[in-house]
Amino acid sequence: MALQPGFAPPPDDLSAVASVLHEPRSATIPLHKLAPEAALRRLELTVVRRLEGFLHGDHQGLLPGPGSEANDARLYVPGQDDVRKIDWAVTARTTVPHVRDTIADRELEIWALLDVTPSMNWGTEGVTKRDLGIAAVATIGFLSQKMGDRFGGLIMRPDQIKRFPAQSGRTALYGLLRRMLAEPIVSDHTTGPFSLAAGIQRMARTERRRGMRLVVSDFLTPGDFELDPNVEPEWERPMRQLAVRNQVLAIEVVDRHEVEFADVGDLLIRDPETDFERYVNTSDDAARERMDAATAAQRERIRIALRRAGAAHIQLRTDRDWVHDIARFVMAYRRTASMLHQPPAGVTR
Amino acid sequence: MIFGWLPSFLAPERLWVLVVVPLLVAGYIYLVLRKKKTGMRFTNTAVLSRVVPKQSQWRRHLAVALSLAALVALSFAWARPNGIEMVPRERATVVVVIDISRSMEATDVKPTRLEAAKQAALSFVRALPAQYNVSVVGLSGNPSVRLPPTTDRVQAQQAINSLKVQDSTAVGESIYTALNALQLAPRGTDSSPAPGAIVLLSDGQNTAGRSPAQAAAEAKKQQVPVYTIAYGTDNGYVDLDGKRERVAPDRELLTGIAQSSGGQAFSAESLDQLNKVYNNIRSEVGQTPVKKETTALWAGYGLAFAVVAALAAVSLGARWP
Repeated sequence: MALQPGFAPPPDDLSAVASVLHEPRSATIPLHKLAPEAALRRLELTVVRRLEGFLHGDHQGLLPGPGSEANDARLYVPGQDDVRKIDWAVTARTTVPHVRDTIADRELEIWALLDVTPSMNWGTEGVTKRDLGIAAVATIGFLSQKMGDRFGGLIMRPDQIKRFPAQSGRTALYGLLRRMLAEPIVSDHTTGPFSLAAGIQRMARTERRRGMRLVVSDFLTPGDFELDPNVEPEWERPMRQLAVRNQVLAIEVVDRHEVEFADVGDLLIRDPETDFERYVNTSDDAARERMDAATAAQRERIRIALRRAGAAHIQLRTDRDWVHDIARFVMAYRRTASMLHQPPAGVTR
Repeated sequence: MIFGWLPSFLAPERLWVLVVVPLLVAGYIYLVLRKKKTGMRFTNTAVLSRVVPKQSQWRRHLAVALSLAALVALSFAWARPNGIEMVPRERATVVVVIDISRSMEATDVKPTRLEAAKQAALSFVRALPAQYNVSVVGLSGNPSVRLPPTTDRVQAQQAINSLKVQDSTAVGESIYTALNALQLAPRGTDSSPAPGAIVLLSDGQNTAGRSPAQAAAEAKKQQVPVYTIAYGTDNGYVDLDGKRERVAPDRELLTGIAQSSGGQAFSAESLDQLNKVYNNIRSEVGQTPVKKETTALWAGYGLAFAVVAALAAVSLGARWP
């Protein structure tokens, strides 16, 4: 039996660890490492909600039009309908000529909302949470490169929301990712009107076309210490409104040391967003255990709230391979998506 | 003066080491402020503030403050401070008053009256128990305290041996001087006069100053008995300026003084009874302030501060064995 050291070797790339002391000055991951584009070609993101659009795409649309999926039969209007579309079985049963409509195949429009508030500029492993979020956007983006699919981005800073219009194609996606990476880091204690809830609301209001919505955040509300899952977090209501017309993927970005509170002695802990400042003895085992239990309860509350809002939930960790995690999610999503994204009563699928 | 409470120092130049104290304080404040700037960022502080107790900082500051206090105290100790220390001392005093007037040069007592009186005084001082103070007063026209009260017998013997003949005799004045000498005895807890006795070796014959009877009454008032020893014979004479003068001792005067002050009159022949003098004096302990080096005291302060600082520092340690 080989002897095992009692500690894990440090990861090769520790460029993000400095974010523990001060806000990072630039992105901690280069563009070409965001996602293995070639490896993702064979995966497909299941789209269960019907889409609106202008173009002919690969996904089922909402309205009749030229497509592959059969819809209702209706009376044949001479001069307007194509004779080749006559549904002979229905015509024989009713003795009146009928045509079979098809549902238009539409392109998918994805909008990703990236939370770049100061709490996202943090990470104890190779990447900060913000950059892991960009990597998740990249991975989802490369998964949805069907014909005509468009990908747009919203960067939610506390003081403003930057909108990058949805465009189709790999080149446009690379452009979007590059601009996300090059987005100036939000300095600590920046105040502004935008919390996650306001950001989601803004996205639901401005992007009206049905499609897929990505919300990338840590889902932590500054100053919210509630652990009871029956109490709604402030972003749950806008999230539910967003999920009425869209297929919503919530990507929760977590760092390992947010879940496992680190033992680093007695030190001053500051919050990048609030004015919290306190000396904490992190070597107190009992306190660490309480903290870990509270964090677990908090994450459970986020999971339950996202499920309640009808959003699919992916948790990514900075110390894990996000491509692997997303690929596993996509495999399972094929079976669960139609269940997960049931629209509320009275809303078309 | 702000630093009035400070003791005086034997090596005050070593106090320059205290310059490092404000430097250390400034350095500590700088580090505290810098630490405030460089604390750890953490995202989930809302839950943290609910779950993890606040780590109080006063023990850290206390440890630093006490270390600095220990440093200050040890610096003082290094500079060899002087303090006033109250030393218990015997107050009881015997004032030996020796007549050094011209009449004491008479040779009717061999070798002279003065020599005989000195010998008697020396043997008396030798016989006096060691704890009693001795004071020596020379009796002449201008009586003076030759030795303030002390237990040092060698000094007393030197003072007695160094007495020289002077003009005139002021017996009453000498008793007042002896009473003043008693005032020089170590201070008691209250302002009461020191217990004492006066041994007056003289041949009487008051020629100047206040009257001996008045002095004896004052001695009685202060509860100081005067024991008198008369020297000389009725045939005694001295040659002054070529003129022979009879100097018979005034025994009545001396006996009167002794009786009215509560003492006893002796003759040169009954000297072996002199131990009555000190047997009747009650012993009383007073305190005298003595300037002493108080290095140990300040070193002790420093040690106490250092121990408390060490305890505070130890209590900061998160991990106990």
